[in-house]
Amino acid sequence: MTDLAVSIAGISMSNPVLVASGTFGYGAEYHPVFDVSRLGALVTKGLTLRPCAGNPGRRLCETPAGLLNAIGLQNPGVEVFIGDILPAMRSYGVPVIANIAGATDEEYVALAERLDGSGVAGLELNISCPNVQAGGMALGTDPCLAASVVAAVVQATSLPVIVKLTPNVTDIVGLARAVVDAGAAALSLINTLLGLAIDVETGRPALGNITGGLSGPAIRPVAVRAVWQVAQAVDVPIIGMGGICTGRDALEFILAGASAVAVGSAFFHDPLAAVKIIEDLERYCDRKGIADWRTLIGAAWKS
Amino acid sequence: MGQTGEYTARVIRQEALDADAFLLTLEAPELAAAAQPGQFAMIGCGSGYDPFLRRPLSIHRAQSTAGAVSFLYRVRGQGTEWLATRRQGEFVPLLGPLGRGFRFAGNSRRALLVGAGIGAAPLLFLAEALAGLNWTLNILLGARTAHSLFCRSALERYGRVHAITDDGSAGRRGSVNALLQEALKKGTYADIFACGPQPVLQAVQRASADRGIPAQLSLEENMACGLGACMGCTCRGSDPSRMLRVCAEGPVFDAEEVILDD
Repeated sequence: MTDLAVSIAGISMSNPVLVASGTFGYGAEYHPVFDVSRLGALVTKGLTLRPCAGNPGRRLCETPAGLLNAIGLQNPGVEVFIGDILPAMRSYGVPVIANIAGATDEEYVALAERLDGSGVAGLELNISCPNVQAGGMALGTDPCLAASVVAAVVQATSLPVIVKLTPNVTDIVGLARAVVDAGAAALSLINTLLGLAIDVETGRPALGNITGGLSGPAIRPVAVRAVWQVAQAVDVPIIGMGGICTGRDALEFILAGASAVAVGSAFFHDPLAAVKIIEDLERYCDRKGIADWRTLIGAAWKS
Repeated sequence: MGQTGEYTARVIRQEALDADAFLLTLEAPELAAAAQPGQFAMIGCGSGYDPFLRRPLSIHRAQSTAGAVSFLYRVRGQGTEWLATRRQGEFVPLLGPLGRGFRFAGNSRRALLVGAGIGAAPLLFLAEALAGLNWTLNILLGARTAHSLFCRSALERYGRVHAITDDGSAGRRGSVNALLQEALKKGTYADIFACGPQPVLQAVQRASADRGIPAQLSLEENMACGLGACMGCTCRGSDPSRMLRVCAEGPVFDAEEVILDD
């Protein structure tokens, strides 16, 4: 069987299949359904300094081949996470990456300092959430603001800092360059696309938050394009995500330049999606006689 | 609560009850053995990515000896439309059992069961379980017409059923809320269990608070994961700092736990 091991920003993983923040809770939710220790790494729901109740009103709306969400970062806060959730999350024996979200640079720094030494393997900086008023995507669409928060966090922690970028920008390559220059050890591409749906019966937006983030297979080509462009412009590994449902989809990202992939909305379509993707990747490498799967990374433009 | 699992279930039967209501029976022995009244399953409704999300359907009946689970549902959109065209021998993917069902313990208590429309689906599973504990059940059932009182005869095996319809074609003309007020005036109950549209749940919630009778309400919400991971199906908790996940803390809540929005 092919060895799918990989190291991203110094985090060793048994395979390159992670979960996308917010779709997988804290791991325990899915553990009755499949053995989550088979995953490459776990990524938490976005964590904030204090508990966050999230957005009121309807939070989900199904769309063609995907869904809009406007959860608004509901989470119990970093203290409860470290005290009550992280021990169970670490018990699966796979690296835990903490996705963190703040309204200001100071909040990101405080989160990073608090998580340093907590047992998480790395941080994923969420500067791309479309569903919160302050911070989130507002920080992540301006290369200068993005670079400033990344530099501040990198300085505040010994943990590897992965930066999750929004596709809701004109120039994702410029943004990626700015955060890599500021010290990002890896990039996650992409967060959701800003969208809106209207309920024609009520005549009002379907979501309580009005706008939401679009995910699922509907956005996959946008994500593959972003990975393709950014991978050729920066020297750090990329975790590709956006509508990955099968091994074929994952390979598309890998061939475009991703060193790992994250499964998100696909869990809602098929809770076993990630396991099937790992098996698909192994079969693909066996079938193609590929000794080192990492030779596939960026092969679509390298060869 | 039983062990949750992902299964591919064979269709045993698909019965059309009227133009858009169906009773689907699936071969799902693990689910039948593990399910508790009030729990639900996420059912894959489509062959591609459109529709993308599974549909949460409450368990209408679980027959563990036959290894069969039934779902009573109404076609509301693309997903349930697809589901309604599944025929005997075909397969559907299914995740379950999920959520926190009805809580009940002890023997020979007196309970009021309240349901309306297709939302009454979980009452049959509950009534069967309570009757097995020798509970005395008064069951209030509302529907649009006599024809849409789908589980009336099945429920009559487990308790006394009082029906009411929007058009007066069975029982009086009116809402199940009218039956609720009368039942509470006439009798005393240790518990109330309710499912159905929001106005019914709100009426039960008020009655529970006014009369000090513990009530449990089964809520419905759009869901994505069904497992408590995505935070997409929340409702407001009585504690204003808490949003409760309908799929995990519910779908059955104690009446005082939740705030029901209009």
